[in-house]
Amino acid sequence: MAFRLWKKAVLMTLREKKTFTVFILIYTSLIFLTSLFMQLAFNGGLEGNAGYFVLIFFGVSLLLSLLYAWIIVARNRKTWATLKCIGYTNKNINSLVTGKIFFTTLIGFIIVIEVLFHYTAGVGYLQSANLVTEVPLVLIDLLPVVFTFVLFLLAQVLAIILANRKIYKVRPIIALKKVGE
Amino acid sequence: MPVDKDTMIEAIDVNKEYRRAGAIIRALADINLTIKSGEFVIVQGPTGCGKSTLLNVLSGLDLPDSGKIIFDGENIARATEDRLSKIRRQKIGFVFQDFNLVPTLTAIENVESLLWPTVLREKEIENRAIAALRDVNLLERKDHYPVQMSGGEKQRCGLARAIVHRPRVILADEPTGNLDPESEKQVMELLKQINKDMETTIIVVTHRGSLTSYADHVVTMEKGSIKRIK
Repeated sequence: MAFRLWKKAVLMTLREKKTFTVFILIYTSLIFLTSLFMQLAFNGGLEGNAGYFVLIFFGVSLLLSLLYAWIIVARNRKTWATLKCIGYTNKNINSLVTGKIFFTTLIGFIIVIEVLFHYTAGVGYLQSANLVTEVPLVLIDLLPVVFTFVLFLLAQVLAIILANRKIYKVRPIIALKKVGE
Repeated sequence: MPVDKDTMIEAIDVNKEYRRAGAIIRALADINLTIKSGEFVIVQGPTGCGKSTLLNVLSGLDLPDSGKIIFDGENIARATEDRLSKIRRQKIGFVFQDFNLVPTLTAIENVESLLWPTVLREKEIENRAIAALRDVNLLERKDHYPVQMSGGEKQRCGLARAIVHRPRVILADEPTGNLDPESEKQVMELLKQINKDMETTIIVVTHRGSLTSYADHVVTMEKGSIKRIK
């Protein structure tokens, strides 16, 4: 049952094109930048200051994750109230919201992996043709990307906890209020 | 009222007060009401008379300050939130004035959404949604989004969602409040047909006196009390 609700959450997320696209772009950029600076931190780059950048980007991603969760709940309050009216439990609605949040993060991660693969393939081709020699073949290793993804998932867990608390407070009676009331 | 039918909902000595801007408003005062299974009841009265509050407490969306609400043999006035959700999912269909369809879902998905948190298979859910849309003559619009439908079509979609799980009771709060006269007639006739064909108890809250002809009984409210039952 929860799996079905996650599937429906993905469907609903894909149809909220504007919000979805904006947050996908933000998450993709943040995952990319955090991974890049994590890679530099592993290699002692930026005179040992790369770790600070990792913290900054992770902090920003945490704030944006909370904002995304808040937007999902606040903008759809009447929908959640209606679903409660027709018999959804708080747990059912939490499954929908959790699906939406995790799906957006997962897509951001997949885009970063995809971009890095294409970068390596492109640079590999240019290097084999002796057109480029100075550029590294692998921009970011897989390990920093995976670590970043795990960090982002932790941020999403906090966002989901926030969303769950807000959903719990949505009273079904709101659904019966008329527009403007 | 006829005595040969089972009691579906019973309100016993129900009171409800609200605090608004420091003042206490008595929304329901000593309400006693019995609705039998299969009846079509219209609750009417002027704005602020407590008719929507009555609908809310009868459905368990709001709790009375005192008194009992016996819904299908069970006192829901003190039921837990999970129990109330289960009762609403299994026994109640809601029709809203503002339709309350999910904008990112098509008509059929909106109808199906009620059954998503159940153990039914996808195909069974789809079949039931198709049947419900057919019942309200909206099958040809099944893949349309709410924004692509007229007010009357949206309300018929809302009605399909309200009957997809074959509820014992349909509660409608001003279901024709946002409709033109033609759509109003269609929706009310559909409600009457559902009441007749499925023997579903229907409770409609409205301030429009013109709808009373559809009802078996008309409950008139005034200042939080039942003024008369006809």
